[in-house]
Formats: sequence, structure tokens, C-alpha cells
Amino acid sequence: MKSKSEIVEVQALPFAAGFNWSTGFQMQRFIEELANRKILGAKCPQCGYTYVPPRSRCGKCYAKIGEENLITLSGKGTLVGYTTAYVKLDGQGNFQDLEEPGIIGAIKLENADSTIFMPLEGIKPRDVTEGLKVEVQWREETKGELADIRCFKPA
Amino acid sequence: MRRNVAIIGCGQTKHTSKRRDVNIAEMVSEAVYNALEDAQVSLREVDAFVVGNMQGFGGIAQPEQWLGDSIGAPGKSVIRIATGGTTGGSVGQGAYYTVASGLHDVAVAVAWEKHSDSREAGATTGLLHVGLGNFFHAASYGLSLKNLVATSAVGAAAGVAVFQAVFYMHRSGCSIEHFDMVAAKARRNAAKNKYAHLQWPGCTPEDIARTEIIAYPFRYGHICPASDGASAIVVAEENLARKKARQPAWFKGLAAFSDEENSLQSENFGGVGVLDPSEQKGCWMSATKAYKMAGIKDPQKEIDVAEVYQPFPSQELIFAERLGLFDEGTAWMALEKGETDIDGRMPLDPSGGVNATNAIGSTALQRILECALQIMGKAEEHQVPRKVSNAVAHGWGGVTNYITVTVLGDSPGR
Repeated sequence: MKSKSEIVEVQALPFAAGFNWSTGFQMQRFIEELANRKILGAKCPQCGYTYVPPRSRCGKCYAKIGEENLITLSGKGTLVGYTTAYVKLDGQGNFQDLEEPGIIGAIKLENADSTIFMPLEGIKPRDVTEGLKVEVQWREETKGELADIRCFKPA
Repeated sequence: MRRNVAIIGCGQTKHTSKRRDVNIAEMVSEAVYNALEDAQVSLREVDAFVVGNMQGFGGIAQPEQWLGDSIGAPGKSVIRIATGGTTGGSVGQGAYYTVASGLHDVAVAVAWEKHSDSREAGATTGLLHVGLGNFFHAASYGLSLKNLVATSAVGAAAGVAVFQAVFYMHRSGCSIEHFDMVAAKARRNAAKNKYAHLQWPGCTPEDIARTEIIAYPFRYGHICPASDGASAIVVAEENLARKKARQPAWFKGLAAFSDEENSLQSENFGGVGVLDPSEQKGCWMSATKAYKMAGIKDPQKEIDVAEVYQPFPSQELIFAERLGLFDEGTAWMALEKGETDIDGRMPLDPSGGVNATNAIGSTALQRILECALQIMGKAEEHQVPRKVSNAVAHGWGGVTNYITVTVLGDSPGR
């Protein structure tokens, strides 16, 4: 039971508000190149640590990383950790059982030092192990969006 | 026992409407590395960071976590401060506390705003986020949201400042032409400051007077821009400051007060607070305390330059009086005589001030930074043509009620 004092209706605002974030020049290139089915990393010119997605300042040694330090990665990598999900959210705050469990993997791409988290398909949860070799699966039509990377599959 | 503390380096980004080439972390790091270079201090020597932008602006809830890697903060103390429009003033004072306490020897203060990350023009998106907190606050007084939006939130800081301006005009006898003069001076001064946003060499009061009134007594040409940019200072204890800087800018006195002019409880809604929105007692209290700490007895004689927080031109006049730089109701007369120009008797905002450059979270830190540049003799084209022994930096904001005052000098003063 709700008393009237607990209800504050929000209405009649004179404007709507949204955000329009700058991604920065390195991330901009990364997203654009996805359309060409290329994954870019940024290799620190000072310490060599390679970031995916790319960035403009090294978090290890704080050197500047420029556009000239972008490298193209092969799209192949190694699974370094994973989890298996059995439920998803239904959009109204409730859990829903998944028909098939979904695997989410932490993947270290060839020539990269940082990891990315992506869905892993084409393998049963009981067959997954750390060290599994995987490769990127693109969606049918790539448009230069993050969603161009559909998932990873065993290589 | 507090230690003597000085600013030994300053760094800024060029301010502009849109920095789409960088994200927030990258923009903030530009200012930090510029300041470190200016101070000739390496990241290894930095012990702590004090950071901040307007709460809710930029749409990033915890920007300090995102940008830590980019500014070299991992493994060090990071404090984020958010006190509305005063944020930068509080961030600068926070760096002072960090070092004066003896806890750390070198701290970097950095503040920023990136308005272009809002989809709507200017500060609209950010203000909604700040405003929402106040809407619910108002609901607790039984005010409907619709009425609140109609009376208070529309125009935001401008809505507050118009009332300050008309009250000040009424009691001081100044007129709208004086606001034209302040705005024109801000744009002319900004043209001499390579980091400033609205630069207009040779801008005249007549140029400003040709722009439309948007809310009396403010014309379009009176209003500050919404800028993207970041500012940083390097703050150090006495031994290091003397070693690193030829002329450090010493913190001599500082204070901050909230006054009763809370936008929800006083001038708009008949509360118990202030009836004259231009009274600004918090500024007077802060200045009095900061001058006492700095050993300044007569600010009209002892202050050489002031950076006053003036997103709206009326505020340069109102606050300059509250900072004790002019007698009550006379700042506009000094303006008429050119006394507040860069080469005048009491230069106000030689940098162009907030009226020309407004990356909200960093504006009050910029006032401290600009005073430091004047003392260090590094203000280049907008350097005031005299020896600067004492400078006063002011910040205004919060929910229009919070004030910071910081007095810097060419010696520690004790």
C-alpha cells in the first residue's frame, strides 16, 4: 500500500537530456576499422604494452600513445578465463532461464597484453578450458559499430 | 602546525566549444602533463591528486576512476571534490590542505568540464542532473515540480544572476551599459590569453550593446560560453617549491563559506534567508577570513590583481566589492575610469575570466591558476604591468550559495 506522500511524479520538464560522448581519436579509429573487419590495438612506444581497445596514454608507464602506434591484430587469441551464464534479465528486473547456457570469455588477442570480454560460441561449457585457442566471428554486415564483433569461436 | 605551500606549475588546455578529438580522460591528462612540465616535476615526485568537475555534468558518475590511469594516479591518493560551480576553487584548496597538513609534499589539483559531451546545447544536460536533486528537495517543501521549473530552474545560474544584477543596479546606481563594458573588457582580455575561449580583440561596449536582451538586464553578449577544457596546478611544500620555482605563488590565506542564499529557500520562495540576492555575505565572510590569514589589512591597497568569478558581468562588480577591492556600490565607477583594465589601478580578470571561458568545474581553479601566473610573471600577454605581490582568486557556485576565496602572494607571508 502506498500513501500519497511516497509518490513524486516527474513530468513537465521543459527539455530532454542526453549525452553525446567523445570517444577520443584512438577509439574512433578502432570503431571505424571494425567495418573493414580489422581489430586495432595500441602499442606503447615506451614500454611496449599493447592495449585492446586502443588508448592514448599508457596506464603502465604513462607515455603518450599516438595514432602511429596503432597495430592491426589477427583476430585470433587465447581464452584466459570464462564464466557460464544460465539466466538473463527479462528487462523488467526478473531473471529468465536461458534455453542454452551462454559462455563469456576473457580473451587475450595475439600480440596484445590486455584482455577483452566477449561471448564464446560453438563449444559446450563442459569442453571449455583456459588456454583454448579462439578466433573472432564478425556479424554478416559490418558497419563500423562495436556490435560488428559478434562473438568468438574455437579456432 | 600547517606548512607553507606554493603553486609551482600551471597547465591548461586551449578552451573551445567542442573538443571532439579527445575523451574526458585524455583532455584532463593534457592539463596535468602541461602543469607537470611547467613545474619541472616528474610524475614520480607527485604524491597525491585532487580532482573534480561539476557533479552530474559530462554524464560520468565517477570520472576519477576512468581518468586515473591517464594522469598517472595509480598507487597514489586521489580525492574527488564536487561543490557545484565552486568545484575548482575547492579542488585548489583541497590540494593546499593535502600539502599544508604535512601528509604529502607534492599534490596536483586538476579540474575540468566537457560540455560538448552533452547532446543538448550548453550546460542543459548537466543542469538537469544537478537540478533533479533540487527538484526532490523542493518536493519536500510541498512545491510541485511544474511550479519549480517555471520559477526557478529555467535559466539556471542566469536565472539567479539576473536577480543579483537588478538588485545591485537598484542599490548602486549602475546601469546595463556598465555590464556591456565588463563583457567587452572580458572579451578583449581573453584575446590576450591563448587558452581563453571567447576572444574578441578590440571588442567595444557598443558591440555588446547590439546583442539582444535575453532576460533583463542580460543581453546575449553578456553571457559566458559553455567551454570544453581542463586546468591543473602543481602544489608543493616550501623546500621543494623554493628549489623548483624561481618565483613560487604562495598560498597566504584561504576560506570558504556557504551563505543563506540557497536558491530554494530564500529569494524565490520566501524563506528565512537573504532578501537581496546581491548581498553575497558568504563572499564577504570568506574574504575577511582569507585576508586575516594572509595578513592583509587593506585589500584596496594591498591586492594587486583579482580574478573574480563572473559568468555574468554584473558579478564582477558585485563580488569585487564583496572582496573588499572597492567601496560599497562604487565598482562600476572604477570600471568607467578604466581602473579595472589590465593596466588599471585594480585589474579585474585580466585573463578574461569566466565570462570568456567557462568549463564550469574548472573555472574557480582557473581563477587560482591565473593569480598564480600573475605572481610568477608567466601570464604573457595578459600579465599586469606592475609587480604583483598579492592576488585574490574567487569562486561562486554550489547551489548559488557557495564561495571560495584564495589569496596568493610572492612570499609565504609568515
